[in-house]
Amino acid sequence: MLLAYTSLTLRAFASIGRSLSGRSTLRVHATFVQMVNVGVNSLPTVGLACLFMGLVLAMQSAGQLAQLGATERVADLVSFAMLREIGPLITAVVVIGRSGSSITAELGTMKVSEEIEALEVMAIDPVRYLVVPRLLAMVIMMPCLTIIGEALGLFGGWLLGVNSLSLDPLLYITRSLQAVDLKDLYTGLFKSLVFGFLIGSIACTYGMEVRDGAEGVGRNTTRSVVSCLLAMLGMDAILTAIFFFAT
Amino acid sequence: MSETKSTHALEVRGLVKKFGNRTVLNDISFNLKRGEILVIMGGSGCGKSTLLRHLIGVLKPNEGEIHVLGTDITKLDDDGLAKVRRRFAMMHQFGALLNSLTVGQNVALPLLESGNVSESIADLVVKLKLELVGLTGFEHLKPSEISGGMRKRVGMARALALDPELLFCDEPTSGLDPVMTAVIDQLTLDMVHKLGITAVVVTHDMTSAFRIANKMIMLFEGQIIAQGSPDEIRNNPDPRLQQFIKGEADGPIPLKLSRDDYIKRLLSVD
Repeated sequence: MLLAYTSLTLRAFASIGRSLSGRSTLRVHATFVQMVNVGVNSLPTVGLACLFMGLVLAMQSAGQLAQLGATERVADLVSFAMLREIGPLITAVVVIGRSGSSITAELGTMKVSEEIEALEVMAIDPVRYLVVPRLLAMVIMMPCLTIIGEALGLFGGWLLGVNSLSLDPLLYITRSLQAVDLKDLYTGLFKSLVFGFLIGSIACTYGMEVRDGAEGVGRNTTRSVVSCLLAMLGMDAILTAIFFFAT
Repeated sequence: MSETKSTHALEVRGLVKKFGNRTVLNDISFNLKRGEILVIMGGSGCGKSTLLRHLIGVLKPNEGEIHVLGTDITKLDDDGLAKVRRRFAMMHQFGALLNSLTVGQNVALPLLESGNVSESIADLVVKLKLELVGLTGFEHLKPSEISGGMRKRVGMARALALDPELLFCDEPTSGLDPVMTAVIDQLTLDMVHKLGITAVVVTHDMTSAFRIANKMIMLFEGQIIAQGSPDEIRNNPDPRLQQFIKGEADGPIPLKLSRDDYIKRLLSVD
């Protein structure tokens, strides 16, 4: 599967390169359709998940910080954790479950119903036609979803801080802004961009590698979700080490 | 790329395909002149579809050469194969339509992806090709909203969209009613006689096969047991061929195990 993944990813890069150099055309409309599928349609789920995570983070930290007499630091902790880690992570988990699995199942079904073979026989490169729009959509939409998810996560923390912890609304916002700097934001967004690439490329590989009919579609969809989760978490550890630990 | 000016649209020499230890195609050799219709016949599992998948470049043989429109496709890379594929078309057994697209978009797909056709011209061609297969007015339906026979005909329309030099058809008339079978047969004959294309048709349907073929091949257990004109095939004394043509249950084609083999298989412990 690693060989198939490398081969498909290189073919996707080569296809994008050919499009950029004018030797073939990029399927812009199809890319926008996929951006709606994987991005816009995921927005309610991502937004709710991040909002709940903001509430949970605030609730969990409030008890501990109250013992130290620093309840107002809930704002610091929520914004710090949300931008650096929880926002990109929760968004990626939701997108893997919702869109990554759907990409694998869709491409896998196309594979078993000979649609992909039909494309090849019509001299239409399935990587350019199917994989590249999905991969680009994933890479473009993940940071967009993440930033909206982070905003809603911060809002969740604010809701709890203001309503249950009786913190001053404006002070909460000021503390949130003071606790983080621009690096926290852009490292989080960079993570989400890398996660988007990993999810798109892994989900497409498992879809294009489906064998054995409907059973194979189910099997590869499960494997795709598991592989995306592990790859995303592994990459998260590597990027966190690079951005915040090794430097 | 070894491209030659050949009068043959298709030349297959010494084709061998093995899946593991099992030989599914054994020393297949034949050729087909431009402007002719070749019918490949044979029982289920005899290797017809595997042979067809070799001819369209989906499978690579273990041995042998396959010259399609003058080019040996067994030695081509993806780009080279794509160039040859732009000159031929394939009608899949179940249509192999893209379910996310409408009927009209499916037929327009090869036109628009070829990059040389505007959308207005593609719309016109879609209407013309759907008219040919009797599906005018179905452009806006999805493949899931039409019958299996209709999907097959849309597949035919899509295959004809780019006016190919060579047309491959996998079971084009199975599942169609007798009238539509005759329509598809007549369409294939018209394409060949009026437009000069060459066709390779895999079929079980003997009526249809003898109606359209210039040349016929009978496959049996991965080997060609007979090839020639329809008259030569009809008069061929090979009992396996005669049993197949006449559709008889009793004959040399083994449908059931012998009594001894049956008992042996039943009592054996794997």
